[in-house]
Amino acid sequence: MIDKPQTPRRRQRFAADRWRYPLISFASVVGMICLWALVTGLGLVSSRVLPSPGEVLVQAGYLIRNGYADNPLIVHIGWSLFRATSGFLLGVALAIPVGLLMSYNRTIGAIVQPIFGFFRPIPPIAFIPLMIVWFGIGETSKILLIFAASFNYTVLNSAAGMRSVPEQLIRAGTNLGLTRWQLFTSVMFPAALPAILTGVKMSAAVSWAVLVAAELIAAQAGLGFIITDAGTFFRIPDVFIGILIIGVIGLGIEFLISAFERRLLHWQGKV
Amino acid sequence: MGTIVLDAVTKVYPTAESGAAGIVAVDHVAMTIRDHEIVCLVGPSGCGKSTVLNMIAGFESPTEGRITVSDKEIRGAGPDRMVVFQSPALFGWMTVRQNITFGPRKRGVPKSQYENDATRFINAVGLDDFASHYPYQLSGGMRQRVQIARALMNRPEILLMDEPFGALDFQTRLLMQELLLKVWSEFKPTILFITHDVDEAIFLGDRVYVMSRRPGRLKEQFDVPFAKPRNMEILTDPQFVTLKDRILHSIREELAG
Repeated sequence: MIDKPQTPRRRQRFAADRWRYPLISFASVVGMICLWALVTGLGLVSSRVLPSPGEVLVQAGYLIRNGYADNPLIVHIGWSLFRATSGFLLGVALAIPVGLLMSYNRTIGAIVQPIFGFFRPIPPIAFIPLMIVWFGIGETSKILLIFAASFNYTVLNSAAGMRSVPEQLIRAGTNLGLTRWQLFTSVMFPAALPAILTGVKMSAAVSWAVLVAAELIAAQAGLGFIITDAGTFFRIPDVFIGILIIGVIGLGIEFLISAFERRLLHWQGKV
Repeated sequence: MGTIVLDAVTKVYPTAESGAAGIVAVDHVAMTIRDHEIVCLVGPSGCGKSTVLNMIAGFESPTEGRITVSDKEIRGAGPDRMVVFQSPALFGWMTVRQNITFGPRKRGVPKSQYENDATRFINAVGLDDFASHYPYQLSGGMRQRVQIARALMNRPEILLMDEPFGALDFQTRLLMQELLLKVWSEFKPTILFITHDVDEAIFLGDRVYVMSRRPGRLKEQFDVPFAKPRNMEILTDPQFVTLKDRILHSIREELAG
């Protein structure tokens, strides 16, 4: 019989193949660290500018035991996560309904589209002075800055996702006798979900990236604070550790959201 | 019950330039599709076949003329006239069973009522082993079978099929045609079937209409002289071949003219 159901391709691959690319990636990371060790070990670059992996590791141990600027490392990480997640979640929570509304009602879309379009290419850091003037140097201005960045990405993706729902799917829904509201919640929204989640993923990445900028605003704790503070006093290993922690947590967030996405949207891109 | 009457139905699409008269897609089409009948509509691509179907479905409204179903003028789309689309418009995030029960569920039909129907229609289209699969795990033919079952779930008096087997390979298409006739003999819906495959039109239809090139008019009507149930053997029957020849001739005039 020619008309066979489709077998998932991934399952057909051999176990050896499955490990091939992760292994290459792992080797790439090890290689990068080796290169770093080589450059510093041979004295090609002064350790004042680029500390060796060993130095960074030793200093990391010190920071883990003693903390940084009177706060344990975990407190810095906690503050950063708190600011980034609250800004991110607030942004996404508002952006999804606004984005859906923008595409559902074209007048609303026409009103807000140019505003968001204007703000999007402006780097969030440019708003720091205004944020301080308007909202002071407390948590509000930091979270608002992250919120704005997060909002911008999800709102446009949600609107675009709704607009790209195939006409035929909407017709199939009306044909089945769905009300406008049912059509919106049970057909258009799930069909737009892949695009919306792409926006959410970008928002998460941007929120975490804007964090350092937000923590430039008179923070007393946080990973961004460690980096700027250590930079001011030329404690380069500490700067490195701050960057490393931000990078690792960023990867973790990306991984979590991707895993969530794969579970939720296993059907996506296959029909 | 499921009688469709088109009375001088015209559809004009506005053009971009203001002042222009617009494009006439369908021009004064009058036809009657009787209860339990299968009528096939063939014609060159772009002749307005799908526009006729979309107007009966209620997705579009005629510019002039009127369409009645069981003597009532249609107002918008509804589950009494189920459409089977060419590309399977299935909900990718739902399993086969969820897709099929979607309409009744959303209209508030009690579960006890639709569950039995679902099992029955899944069985009727031969998808028993795939009820909990997702559309992406199915072949093209299976997806179309899901669409047919989803349509039947709503107990429509009318099935509107817009080249539903056009994208399938030859052998699958034959199987689907036989399946459709089997489903028809069991539930007897009125069917408007659009195709550009003349074999398919004769094999399925009680009557075949040929449409002219744009502006789309009904050009000619052919009665198919085979009783149902039919099987593949009629495909080589001399009467079949003669009819096919006449229909092809009618279409070819359109392509040449």
